[in-house]
Amino acid sequence: MGEAIVITSGKGGVGKTTTTANLGTALALQGKKVCLIDTDIGLRNLDVILGLENRIIYDLIDVLEGRCKVHQALVKDKRFEDMLYLLPAAQTADKNDVNPEQMKELVTELKKDYDFVIIDCPAGIEQGYKNAVAGADHAIVVTTPEISAVRDADRIIGLLELEENIDAPRLIINRIRPHLMKAGEALDVNEITTHLSIDLLGIIADDERVISSSNKGEPIVMDPSNPAALGYRNIARRLLGESVPLMSMEKAPPSLFTKIKAVFTK
Amino acid sequence: MKAQVTHFLKNLVNIKGKNKGLVLYLDDQCAYTDLLAELKAKVSDPALDSDTEVTVHLNKRYCTDSQIQELSKVVQTNPHLKVVATTSDILTVEASDQMIRERQSETYVGIVRSGQVIKAEGDLVVIGDVNPNGRVEAGGSVYVLGRLKGAAHAGTKGNREAVIAASWLEATQLKIDDELETMTDELSSLSEQPEMECAYLHTNGTIIIDRLQELRFIRPQISTFKGGS
Repeated sequence: MGEAIVITSGKGGVGKTTTTANLGTALALQGKKVCLIDTDIGLRNLDVILGLENRIIYDLIDVLEGRCKVHQALVKDKRFEDMLYLLPAAQTADKNDVNPEQMKELVTELKKDYDFVIIDCPAGIEQGYKNAVAGADHAIVVTTPEISAVRDADRIIGLLELEENIDAPRLIINRIRPHLMKAGEALDVNEITTHLSIDLLGIIADDERVISSSNKGEPIVMDPSNPAALGYRNIARRLLGESVPLMSMEKAPPSLFTKIKAVFTK
Repeated sequence: MKAQVTHFLKNLVNIKGKNKGLVLYLDDQCAYTDLLAELKAKVSDPALDSDTEVTVHLNKRYCTDSQIQELSKVVQTNPHLKVVATTSDILTVEASDQMIRERQSETYVGIVRSGQVIKAEGDLVVIGDVNPNGRVEAGGSVYVLGRLKGAAHAGTKGNREAVIAASWLEATQLKIDDELETMTDELSSLSEQPEMECAYLHTNGTIIIDRLQELRFIRPQISTFKGGS
């Protein structure tokens, strides 16, 4: 029996879908069988970020309304052999076409075959949110170092704490810009975690290549040299129970060797 | 004629003069209809011919609101009398429970997050932070053992003696009874380090923020502690 994790944030545009795609990919790279569910019915994106848009035949609504079997709707990501699957959202329906009971049943069914079922939650606290959290055992709240995102995270944590089946939510702080934090222009990691007072699961550096890789349909986590990718890989390892120290956001000062090298390469 | 009237009266209504008008003590053992009849007779006494404020005291009789209204109406059939208050020695169980609740202190342990509202009929003690867009309300005072960063409303039912105290008073809004203060930069009393502060209502109707240590001089009646040495 696997575990179901919902990725949520309240506010839109903080990186829920990117986080879902990258965490799913990172877990698959670690040899876990992962199923991603996009619950943003009507505004699906997860398929695009994973580069699986063209392969969608059936979607979530088709499964829930019995037009197909679950395995028929699951889109396999061929890059990871048999490890990563996506259940895409429907684009031609809306969030009210699904109810939490149906979602709970579906997630319970999927947990039998997968180590991780990761549910990408839509923005907001309405029906779409209720559907997304219905089947989850754990919750991850994504926020950025902006006051508006932290406010919404606080609201969503309050709602998640009322859900009996979900254990204490954990936090990911996305899009960290070390120079802004250092200058006191953005909230720092400590301020955010003290304010929200939940466990910090990981931090992700802001990196332009996250955007370009999303546009190519290749989750950034596939590039092991990228700092954002390292952040996601660390989070995946923490989810698997490893204790990984929080990565430093400071750039290491140039070593003597690189300084000497710089003199000769000028 | 006068003797006849005296004979009819069973002295169910006792009238006593107090420094501020008259008090009508009503018998609590007789039938309500008898009481009403005697009250009618007593107040129509032509001797009561100057404008007077009247308090009706029910002793140990329980009267419904409509009965109280009826009694007042009877008293005011004499145009010189005006009922200003109705008092009684007894309470219903419901009213007594309500009074107990309003005097009790409730404790909430946890964080009051954005969108959450915590209400208490008496005093409210929050052990944890009150985050922005979170709200705490109390009929009595609000005490926060943590950072008050949201909105707090004390004395919701008209208690103007109620206070708001916090380990860290950084609220967005403070309200005591129906006086509201938005904690903007224009407020001169805002401190840089709002540690251990309290807010109370000044007699001029404005909310004042002061050090928590001043509370024992400003509101000594809040202290209910009796023991110790």
